[in-house]
Amino acid sequence: MLVAWRYRKRKSFIQSFDPRAWIIFYICYLASTLFFWDARFLLPLMAIAVFVLLTSGVKWHEMRRAFLFIIGFVFFFAFFTFLTGRGGLEVYEQEHLVRRFEAPFLIFGWRPALDITVERAFFAVSQLMRVFSLAVMTILIPYSLNPAHYGITFRGLGLPDKIAYAMDLTMRFIPTFGRDFQLTRDAQRARGYELEKISGGLIEQVRKLGPLMVPVTIHAISGSEDIIDAMDLRAFGVGPRTWLEQLTYRRRDYVLIAAGVLLLTVSLLLSLFGYGTFWVPEALIRAVG
Amino acid sequence: MTDLPLVVENLSFRYRDRLGAAVHDISFSMERGEILLVAGASGCGKTTLIRCINGLIPRSYKGELSGRILVNGEETTGWSLARISQKIGTVLQDPERQILGTKVRNEIAFGLENLGLPREEIVQRIDQALDYLNILHLRDRDTFNLSGGEKQKVALAGVLAMRPSILLLDEPLASLDPASALETLQIVRRLADEGMTILMVEHRVEDVMKIHPRRVMFMSNGEVRYLGGLDGLSAAVAYQEVKLPAAMIMARAKADPPPAEIKVLPSVAGTGSEAEPETLVRFENVTFGYEAEQEVLHGINLEIRRGDVIAVLGPNGAGKTTFVKHAIGLLRPRSGRVLVNGRDTHQASVAEIASTLGYVFQSPSHMLFAPTVREELSFGPRNLHHSPQQIEQEVKEALEIVNLTDREQDPPLAMSFGQQKRVSIAAILAMRSRILVMDEPTAGQDYKNYMGFMDSILQMPGFEAILFITHDVDLAVIYANRVILVADGQIRADGRPQEVLADLDLLRACRLVPTSLLVANLEHLAQSGRFMRAEALAHVS
Repeated sequence: MLVAWRYRKRKSFIQSFDPRAWIIFYICYLASTLFFWDARFLLPLMAIAVFVLLTSGVKWHEMRRAFLFIIGFVFFFAFFTFLTGRGGLEVYEQEHLVRRFEAPFLIFGWRPALDITVERAFFAVSQLMRVFSLAVMTILIPYSLNPAHYGITFRGLGLPDKIAYAMDLTMRFIPTFGRDFQLTRDAQRARGYELEKISGGLIEQVRKLGPLMVPVTIHAISGSEDIIDAMDLRAFGVGPRTWLEQLTYRRRDYVLIAAGVLLLTVSLLLSLFGYGTFWVPEALIRAVG
Repeated sequence: MTDLPLVVENLSFRYRDRLGAAVHDISFSMERGEILLVAGASGCGKTTLIRCINGLIPRSYKGELSGRILVNGEETTGWSLARISQKIGTVLQDPERQILGTKVRNEIAFGLENLGLPREEIVQRIDQALDYLNILHLRDRDTFNLSGGEKQKVALAGVLAMRPSILLLDEPLASLDPASALETLQIVRRLADEGMTILMVEHRVEDVMKIHPRRVMFMSNGEVRYLGGLDGLSAAVAYQEVKLPAAMIMARAKADPPPAEIKVLPSVAGTGSEAEPETLVRFENVTFGYEAEQEVLHGINLEIRRGDVIAVLGPNGAGKTTFVKHAIGLLRPRSGRVLVNGRDTHQASVAEIASTLGYVFQSPSHMLFAPTVREELSFGPRNLHHSPQQIEQEVKEALEIVNLTDREQDPPLAMSFGQQKRVSIAAILAMRSRILVMDEPTAGQDYKNYMGFMDSILQMPGFEAILFITHDVDLAVIYANRVILVADGQIRADGRPQEVLADLDLLRACRLVPTSLLVANLEHLAQSGRFMRAEALAHVS
């Protein structure tokens, strides 16, 4: 069976809107954030995300796991960019060196070195802000959108019946997949399998994941076969469908959609006129230089 | 003749990618309000028959189909699934795997939404269906929080809301505790009395007999071997093949020689004279909860000793699996501790414990992965660093026990569910643990098969204690020398089967239903001195 996400009805800002309105706003927000590398522009966007997070009513212990994962991921990438300087090269040309660290050893005649520059450091900060904002807004959706409304939400956004229901099922399939994965891991651990101790080359490692991946995949396939049978037997997809759940736009929903569209338009215009590209505070450069 | 609700004529079907017909030349007809019980071993073609009637064959499953199916005198060949689904409702084997809605009301609405009915009518029909099954209080609940019995009823309500006149039930009792199974059966009886035509596939013949199906059909190898009244069944079919009431088995078995005595745990036998057998696993005040707020286990205290064959009985959702997962360290207590072989599970890895305690999971599909049965079986012992010669021997013996010696090179993933279950048990047997723990070892298996492998497992050399979780009171009666009743995360009773199972009120409180075998055993206890299977009991008095 399809397991539900950790949705609960909460008194929150995000849940006070129609889910369709929120999805439209979310898409506008997503696109807007992607336009900017300038921390001054990212800051208000991040403020929106923080506001939504703080008013979401989701308790820390409920989302701890998802958050720790995302935070770890974000920091890893920001730090990685910082170390290598990769990724930033397209947005800045000049670098101002703060300090250079050189390793006291050689690897095949090459001396590993780390250049800390103002640009790299600030690029990492900007990237952190971007990804953090996007992650927060995305994580909150499964906690705040009633799974019973997934289908009608997609339908309401203009998708055809079949596709809307398929999207609904797909969204709900993800946590089911997670549960199957855990069951399989437990079953294999009971056979002495230790995921922590997997070693060897890349191909060897992938091969050793077989005991986990094969059952999970097979289970997903056979599970979806049953679901398809169950759907067929109850006349799915034979004609236009009634949706039991109904959604109605209220005034605040129109306001939210308008706000989203406005945000996107302004962002688009700003970036067309060349604003919002990577920026480093003058003061910082002067302090170094 | 033509207005019979269901007529099947000379039906044969072969799946496109398989050799041999899945069902062959099946003919029968059903009257309004009739219950037809279909029984037979795993793979006998029961599920294929259901698929032919409900139209999934040939619409979703392709192959060669011949013969005719008539519903109310009309041939269904050209019908769409939507049209068939309004005449014929199907409840699939596992309610877990067919519930689509997140809330109960959405689940029941699903078929009606697809038919495009007006919203008001859908709402009305939802309430009617729920009311009919006495589960109106579930309407706004999340489906994934329901108990097994509740899920079954919700799945049934979703089908009934479409107002079919024929109902197909594919092993509706398989995942239910005995009390929920009885409730489901009573609902089926009531539906039939009100005019529904019901075809029910079920292994648990004895249980279904309580609601007096008009006829029973016994299938084997895709063909009908018996079709007629219940009283003729025991003459037409060997009593080892389907589960019949104890009195029927006893009457038949009297004429046969008494069955061979089962030597339970042979490696322990003979040394059983010691006063206090060695403790293998000890639970000390174990509490546990998955979420911070709620507690699933409340203070479990227990010792598993050398020579124990323990049946853990209790309702769906009582915490049986949670409790048993602590024994292998997959779960660790929130407070209290579990000692396996004197070692605290907090300090040992699961892999370390696995060499002492083998755990067979309920669903084989969560663990099978290897290309051949042989590789599947050697996976565990290899993880435990057994030597190649040792592994060779262990795999061979495990295969013999589950009766799959000739299937060594076959891919487990292509086998039937029952065979997969046996492979999954063999995979743990090959690890040669001292203690064997099995979660619902007989679920989804036919009677003959599971009795066979339970017999072999219990007689297997090497084990010092066995523990199994089950809904089947008879398994506890036949095999256990100790019974633990679990309800609401607590141990309600722990003792010899003769003591624990004699308290029928306690059994009912734990959603168990006394079986005919239990009752017969209690009657004969003075002469027999212990519980035994019906075949043996026949020779007692």
